[in-house]
Amino acid sequence: MTGSEVAAVGVVTGWGRSAVALPPDAVRAAAGRRVIAVEPPRAAGERFRRATRECQLGVAAVEALLREASLGPEAIRGDETALVYVTAAAYGSSNRAFIRAIASSTLHFPYTAPSAVPAEVAIEFGLTGPYVILIGGAAATIDGLWQATLLLRRGQCRRALVLAVETFAECEDLWARGRWLVRPPLVESAACALVVPGPWRATYAPAPAPSPLEALARARAGETLACAPLIALALARAAGDAGPVTLTGEWRGRRAGLAWEAH
Amino acid sequence: MVRLRTEPVAIVAAGVVTPLGDVDAFWSGLVTGTDAISRIERFPVDDLRVGLGGEIKKLKRERRGGCRASQLLFAAADDLLARAHLDAAPRRVGVVLGTALGGVEEGERALAGDPSARRTAAALYDGPAHALARRLGCRGPALTVSTACASGATSLGVAADLLRADAADLVVAGGYDILCRFVMRGFDALRSLTRDRVRPFDRRRSGLLLGEGAALVLMARDRDARRRIGRLLGHASAGDGTHVAAPDPEGRGLASAIRIALAEAEVGPEDVDFVSAHGTATPLNDRIETAVLKRVLGARAGLIPMNSIKGALGHTMGAAATLEAIMCLLASREGVVPHTVGLEERDPECDLDYVTTAPRAARPRVSLSTSLGFGGCNAALVLEGDAR
Repeated sequence: MTGSEVAAVGVVTGWGRSAVALPPDAVRAAAGRRVIAVEPPRAAGERFRRATRECQLGVAAVEALLREASLGPEAIRGDETALVYVTAAAYGSSNRAFIRAIASSTLHFPYTAPSAVPAEVAIEFGLTGPYVILIGGAAATIDGLWQATLLLRRGQCRRALVLAVETFAECEDLWARGRWLVRPPLVESAACALVVPGPWRATYAPAPAPSPLEALARARAGETLACAPLIALALARAAGDAGPVTLTGEWRGRRAGLAWEAH
Repeated sequence: MVRLRTEPVAIVAAGVVTPLGDVDAFWSGLVTGTDAISRIERFPVDDLRVGLGGEIKKLKRERRGGCRASQLLFAAADDLLARAHLDAAPRRVGVVLGTALGGVEEGERALAGDPSARRTAAALYDGPAHALARRLGCRGPALTVSTACASGATSLGVAADLLRADAADLVVAGGYDILCRFVMRGFDALRSLTRDRVRPFDRRRSGLLLGEGAALVLMARDRDARRRIGRLLGHASAGDGTHVAAPDPEGRGLASAIRIALAEAEVGPEDVDFVSAHGTATPLNDRIETAVLKRVLGARAGLIPMNSIKGALGHTMGAAATLEAIMCLLASREGVVPHTVGLEERDPECDLDYVTTAPRAARPRVSLSTSLGFGGCNAALVLEGDAR
């Protein structure tokens, strides 16, 4: 049975351009602000003329991953790289814009779909391998990481990118109504993990309680929904822990867990 | 890359709600060539170029509360549970649903001034899946897949993964989407909707019409299933990486998905008895899909009966691929392949064996079902019918 491991994680958040930029205490650092926004670097070129902020964040997260892994884009190009994309709500701003007819031109509508973000990422980096898009918070990202390990195990890819993007600023008023779903500060984020064949066996199961890494990511980053497990991975790696790891993530009352352990 | 064969997963039963009705009405409508497209009545369409669609005019039983997407899912679940029981511990029953739009209509209402937290939460694209899980008392994994109009295929693949990994003993899987102002405005603006009828693979085809529906199947590990209507033998998805809205002109992602799904199922082109095509009736889709099938299936492609049911129902988006998978299994059981409603004049560029004019007597054992969606999403399912 093929094992796997996380080779690198790229993180972009409202706190900065890496996991190192996360404050020790997100609530204190937010100083009462409900949303910590992030403005991604605008990718150049005509192709990005209509790309949303979420799409730009997705591209920025993969670029951060490549920097972290010291890889060039050619290392992930082609049909041997799977792309697993997860978000709870990064389609909210484009949906809102379309509903309010701020941007109801012909080409805007496709950007209301959650699939627009991985599409722009796939186009930018030439990714044509297996493709999965999951909707949900941190539990869905655990599902997505597990999907990545399955795709590797089955030989459907040689590497998998697990990408998560969350934005909040354009829908801050709506999030304020859903207080039972999220706890401020809501921190806009994008993160991408590179999962490759490795020595560890991945075990996927419901988790009865948050792992220490889930709690750490929550404390350091704030509410990042689908990005949280990837930020947790980045924090573990920043602390020098690239070995066996247990991740958990909760969303709408379900907590999923994924443990990379020795065979 | 070395590819591992995956264990087949049983499809125990199916339940749907469509413009044609429940599973029985869906099947009889398909084989009688019923055209379920009508003028949309549930919301205003007078300002749109096209106001037609496959609208469900009345549900058998409307529940209080719950958005329309949830109502459709509850109706499909009623149909499913009339045919099978969820006989497993609630924490071992999962829900995996595919959708292109989720609860977007609730988002429209929230932005129109409804301040309730419930409305806001329902606007999230995974809201209806959680509503169905609550309704059914399923406490296992509840996942939402959104690979656009391929969602109803990807969801079956993810459900099969949950079963193979022993993360659940039963999974209610499928797809859904509703007709609403949001999506009608979008496709209208894209000029994707036809003012004619939907004509998959026809020389005169000029676009799609949308439909709504929910389609669910109950899935179990094959060794655990006491009865079944068929098996999911293989599934794969692949990205195009070429365009946010249009398919890759060469159909490379679709070709890749078909090849991997066939390999996973350990079947070759010679084993495929029937192809349920995505067949949206857009000029681009049908030509690309035909070319891909010829490339991947080789000489066998022209010998395999093929259809598209979108001429009858419209494009039901997240529900489409699950409905098509159910149609494949019913074709095997009943020994009849429904014809492609709307296809009358062959397009020289679409030169495969489309079933036209009338249903064809055939009992496909292995079926291939293909799906494409916005964002370069492609998916393929390989299904085996459980013939009577």
